[in-house]
Amino acid sequence: MKHAITLRIGPATFRIGSAWPQPIAELARLYAAYPDILGAIADFTVRLQPASRLRRYVRPSIFITGDHGLADAAPMSLAHGLLAAEMGMNLQMALGWRRHLLLHASSVEKDGRALVMTGESGSGKSTLAALLGERGWRLMGDEFALLDLDSGAILPFPRLVSLKNRAIDVVAQEVGETRMGPLLRATAKGDIRHMIPRADAIARMGHGAMPALLLFPRFGHDPAMRAVGRGEIFMRLTQASTNYVALGEPAFAALTRFVTGVPARAIDFPSGDAAIEMVDRLWEEHL
Amino acid sequence: MPDLDAIKAYRRDVRDAVAVCTLDDLVLLYHHRSGQTHMVISPVPEILERMTDGAELTAAQMHDRLAQDFDLGPREEAVEEIGAHLDALVALGLVRPA
Repeated sequence: MKHAITLRIGPATFRIGSAWPQPIAELARLYAAYPDILGAIADFTVRLQPASRLRRYVRPSIFITGDHGLADAAPMSLAHGLLAAEMGMNLQMALGWRRHLLLHASSVEKDGRALVMTGESGSGKSTLAALLGERGWRLMGDEFALLDLDSGAILPFPRLVSLKNRAIDVVAQEVGETRMGPLLRATAKGDIRHMIPRADAIARMGHGAMPALLLFPRFGHDPAMRAVGRGEIFMRLTQASTNYVALGEPAFAALTRFVTGVPARAIDFPSGDAAIEMVDRLWEEHL
Repeated sequence: MPDLDAIKAYRRDVRDAVAVCTLDDLVLLYHHRSGQTHMVISPVPEILERMTDGAELTAAQMHDRLAQDFDLGPREEAVEEIGAHLDALVALGLVRPA
């Protein structure tokens, strides 16, 4: 395609092509600190192409496609080109990655051990990971945690952190404007702004950590903490994985090992500060 | 589909093997042949355990095997319930008609 960039995030390499220059220029700025891998062979291709020939110029409209595509993906405005590229990369991972068990979860690391947080969109797992990443933890990823089938370690996938609506200001205040992407207004998920992870998170994106604690966070409730049964944990993690079925028995072995070996809690919290206090307390208790 | 009402005896074949993981009161069964993961509770794991020798047996014979270790209550009701479990396991592909 006319405009293209190759990016490595954790173990995965993406080649993103675009019919327009803007999304690629935005990616180049936001991923500037990631390793230079010019000429690397990509695991996945993402293509941002006009929804029709006319839509290249008139009310430009992006259709996201690539090695793996969704036939009914709705076209997006060119103003949301960065989001389209990020969604395209997520889609390739979710549909095509086979080297690890992919969990829809955020993760951070401290003392050589990983904290994994999983939940629906809006649960606060991304925001919490972003905030912890500024307060003594290493951000490993806000969207996908990769569970190694042999070692049981969690491997990082520290793409840009995608922040939505109220979380945008909370995190922007913490990290400063230079690490924030453009504000994308009124997307299908509301306002979205991306955050560049800290340099140490990017430099150590090849280093995994053994999981020590699993949390099911829930934002917007009075502080509460409860145990979760292991059957429920297993079920929720299979639902949070896009490739559990495809990986077969090694995934069963890796996930049962994770569920039986890693303590888990559900936490409700009204604010980021409250959540961080709960996380720090739980971490002390479990290490 | 086999006519489940007609099944009189059941057996497990080596090809029906599952990997088992117990999580509290739930048991996970990974079925090698289908790649499916089943979540089951008592008495399903106990029934499957008593079929690992591959021998053919009826619901009544399964009742007698289980009764060695458990108090199953009135025999007729228990046999009927065990038969229903065995039929369900046939439908899942974990047990086959003998």
